[in-house]
Amino acid sequence: MCRTAEEPEPDADRGTDAAFSALLEDSAEDLYEQAPCGYLSTLMDGTIAKANATLLGWLGLERQAVVGRMRFTDLLTVGGKLYHETHFAPLLRMQGELGGIALEMRTGSGDRLPVLVSSVVKYGSGGEPLLIRTTVFDASDRRAYEAQLLRRRQEAEQARAEAERQRERAEDALRQAESDRARLTEALAALQQSLVPTSLPAVPDLESAVYYHTASPDRLGGDFYDLFPLDEDRWAFFLGDVCGKGPAAASLTSLTRYTLRAAALHDPEPATTLATLNTVLHEQYTAAGDPRYCTAVFGTIEPGHDRQHRTVRLASGGHPPALVLRADGRAEFLATPGGLLVGILPDAPFTTAQTTLAPGDTLLLYTDGLTEARTGPTRTSLFGDDALHAFATDHAPAGPQEVITALTGLLKSFGDGLDDDTALLALGVPATRATTAPTTPPATNPTNPAR
Amino acid sequence: MSPLNTSCHDTAAGPVLRVTGDLDYEHAPALRRRVEELILVPGQCLVIDLSGLDFCDSSGITALLAALRHAQAKGADLALAAVPANILRIFSVVGLDRVFTLQA
Repeated sequence: MCRTAEEPEPDADRGTDAAFSALLEDSAEDLYEQAPCGYLSTLMDGTIAKANATLLGWLGLERQAVVGRMRFTDLLTVGGKLYHETHFAPLLRMQGELGGIALEMRTGSGDRLPVLVSSVVKYGSGGEPLLIRTTVFDASDRRAYEAQLLRRRQEAEQARAEAERQRERAEDALRQAESDRARLTEALAALQQSLVPTSLPAVPDLESAVYYHTASPDRLGGDFYDLFPLDEDRWAFFLGDVCGKGPAAASLTSLTRYTLRAAALHDPEPATTLATLNTVLHEQYTAAGDPRYCTAVFGTIEPGHDRQHRTVRLASGGHPPALVLRADGRAEFLATPGGLLVGILPDAPFTTAQTTLAPGDTLLLYTDGLTEARTGPTRTSLFGDDALHAFATDHAPAGPQEVITALTGLLKSFGDGLDDDTALLALGVPATRATTAPTTPPATNPTNPAR
Repeated sequence: MSPLNTSCHDTAAGPVLRVTGDLDYEHAPALRRRVEELILVPGQCLVIDLSGLDFCDSSGITALLAALRHAQAKGADLALAAVPANILRIFSVVGLDRVFTLQA
């Protein structure tokens, strides 16, 4: 009741007091019988001495059937009886009171009634126990609430278990993806190794060096090269670049490499070998409406007029010209006129060019990853042929490994500018140590790692 | 990197397709599709105007070759107009200056 700071209003107060009095006129008997909870008193042996109307109403039992005739445990279910005997009664005897114990009662019609029971022992003046007073609260709602809580908890546990299963499935998928990726990487690496040799063969009296860069690890390279024997004295080599990227480019590279190797064994004349490749690629792709092509330099190298000189014959199909770094410090592009992209026309003209490599001379083949490497912010600031020529002139004379090392350093300096695959292949006749060297180099010539 | 744009207008001799931007691995397929949509009749000449071309790699060359093939299959000709100098240099390296009809 809210009282204000103002003078109290006696009339209103009197009205409220009258309402209170009307309530308090309730007899104690009526309060006991109609209380919102069940009351019962039992003798120490459990015989029910008194029970209120509320409890009897809940249980649907007549007073005369209960009082003096039933024990408290007779009102309980079997489970309730057991709990009463093993826990409730001993604790009550020991402590003299017990509160809020959940038990189940059985109604006259056989239904179960969940209840909360509190009991207290009434003692006599001599301290001897006289009787037990018990209140019984209807716990149906509370049980329902507990059941609901339990159900919710089970649902939450199910959801958690489901989430756990989902997580396990996601982890399985991730493991699967990782294993797939590892397998794919392995397959790609195996495929890539079929496109370029894992190492160059040792060629008598010839030094060789190679550099191979794939711009992006998930895209198979489109550049290729090879060096292989034709017979005892003659070797063939090639280097090129197929159009496109990825698996389609890889299949083209594979076809190109093995066609060149087979064609060279049949007829190693460079222009003829490239013409054969042209026919094969044109038949396979362009004639079928899917223009694909490659650029390639194909060449042969064999002993020249003496064992110190080598004759190189090569032809180019749409490929940047080979570069020769001479022993005297010059560098020159080896013109291979007329070469057209291999595979775009049914009959493409190729011509064979020839040069001689003297001791200390190095022949360099490269793909356009080098000359098309970006040296500036735009795609049109490219390294270019002139810059390559100047670079070669700076470094000549230089052996194959020296040239490749210098160019590798140059490529690294391009950084992100190197956005294409790049292949470099250098072949050179070892420089003689002195002018008095014998015309036939000794078998243990230390400048020749191929020996 | 700039995206590829194409615009087309018809002349008495045949359609003129103007290409601007980059003709690379990513964008070349778009040009191939664009050309395949063109209606060409025998005797016409399809002109591809490359004056706005910034970049052309091997995929771009493939697309131009596909265009040439498409035109020839329809009994038409193809000419490349205003090829930028840097791309003309590549064309001469790979011999394409002798495959395509080039217009100034």
